[in-house]
Amino acid sequence: MATPDIETPTAAANTRAGTGTTFTRFIGLATIVSMIALGVFGLLLSPADVQQSDSVRILYIHVGTVWVAYVAFAFTALSSAAYLWKRTTSLAWDRFAGASAEIGVLFMALTLLAGSLWGRLSWGKFWVWDARVTSTAFMFVTYVGYLAVRGLGGSHQQRARRSAVVALLAVLEIPLVHFSVKLWRGLHQDSSVADRTNVNLHGLMLFSLFISLIAFTLLYVWLLMHRQRVLAMQDDIDNSGLDYALQQRRDEGDL
Amino acid sequence: MEDLGFILATYIVTFGSVAAFAIAIVRRGRRLAAQLPAKDKPWT
Amino acid sequence: MFRVARLIAAKDLRIELRSRVVTNQVLPFAAIVMVMFAFALNSDAVVSRVAPGLVWLATLFSLLILVQRSFAIENADGATDALRAAGVDPSGIFLGKAMALAVQLAVLELVLLVSAVVLYSTELRVGGIVLLLVTFVAATVGLALVGTLYGGLAGGVRGRETLLPLLLLPVVAPVLIGATRATESALGTGGATVADGWPWVGLLAVFVALFSVGGTLAFGPLIEE
Repeated sequence: MATPDIETPTAAANTRAGTGTTFTRFIGLATIVSMIALGVFGLLLSPADVQQSDSVRILYIHVGTVWVAYVAFAFTALSSAAYLWKRTTSLAWDRFAGASAEIGVLFMALTLLAGSLWGRLSWGKFWVWDARVTSTAFMFVTYVGYLAVRGLGGSHQQRARRSAVVALLAVLEIPLVHFSVKLWRGLHQDSSVADRTNVNLHGLMLFSLFISLIAFTLLYVWLLMHRQRVLAMQDDIDNSGLDYALQQRRDEGDL
Repeated sequence: MEDLGFILATYIVTFGSVAAFAIAIVRRGRRLAAQLPAKDKPWT
Repeated sequence: MFRVARLIAAKDLRIELRSRVVTNQVLPFAAIVMVMFAFALNSDAVVSRVAPGLVWLATLFSLLILVQRSFAIENADGATDALRAAGVDPSGIFLGKAMALAVQLAVLELVLLVSAVVLYSTELRVGGIVLLLVTFVAATVGLALVGTLYGGLAGGVRGRETLLPLLLLPVVAPVLIGATRATESALGTGGATVADGWPWVGLLAVFVALFSVGGTLAFGPLIEE
């Protein structure tokens, strides 16, 4: 398909314009600043906890990552529902769902890692069979599966519908898993994480936690926007990229 | 500081993998952007 | 919808009766898994304590194979595409395949239960028979529903063999927990009483209710091209 009206961007625009805009650059800068602040407050300025001593510093990371993971998965569910809703079958919603799930999986992995390191220090073991801990791990595996479903191939609409349905089924599954694990642990009369997580929050500690939430939320927004744009370009290239690449090579030949 | 190893490991791994992920996205974005005309990039 | 479901189920079961793939391959697999558990655990006391859990674990492993078989027969000749092209109600296909799968699972579970009685010296008790039956029915229906749902998703795409366990096992975790606890109560394993078992049957019932509705709605969009 010869499309001579394709606007050939100049080389300068090509190399400089990626997925960034003024807005994302602003968010990115704010993220870096708040992350540095998190490091300073979390590692240096905030005091050690009375009961947990320094291991509480891990929580500044842990709480931020788990927050982002939950937000990301919730956004995946909402975008999937938006995609399936009547006639809004816009692929943008599907790409938001996919980008968000990918970020969620990364942060869930980091959450599990930080959580188990913290658990080793506070409880003496990397893992406890608590309902919240266990269903978090299930959530992680579920969204790894979701990403695998996205990678199955087929047309973009096919991928979008399939993965949207899987994302909504995950919303059905996760509370059920949580509930059943809770019931299961209930029989063993094990004290839950909540009982053993008495952190007496000092003012500066609360402030560090607050910085953590802000920093990781900004990071999520930045990552989501960039990832969504990359996915959009990927889809466009799947559709028409070949034509364009051929056109470009021809143009090069004409020079 | 007690348990310095565990605490530093958490911070380094977290920031490190987030940074790696972010850099990978940006690089992929630049590479793909070079292959597409501006009209397919509504954010520019 | 239910007429379609009956026809599909009858078709699947007829194929099984003639090909005997499940009978000749999956049942022996399940039995050998039960023997392997005994090798791994290496203690009569431990084995009889965990027998209900092993029965349900072996069921889950076999479920993966059964589901793959169930959709292999659809995809071999593009049968799903033909059904769709003929305008057959996807909810009917879903319920039909789930029914056929449930029948095959029920046979399999019976074999596993008998092998537990024989190999692990599990004893059935009269008071727990009703609980045992209800548990097996509820768990079987639940497993058949989610198995069909995710089998339909993974069927017809390359790489489905490895994807199915990843998708299916996390979802059936509540069934494993609920069915194992209820079975322990029914058999009196580890001093559990029959009355302890009924809340777990409730969990299984919730599972069945959610996935029968969710599956019927979701199956259509999942298999659509």
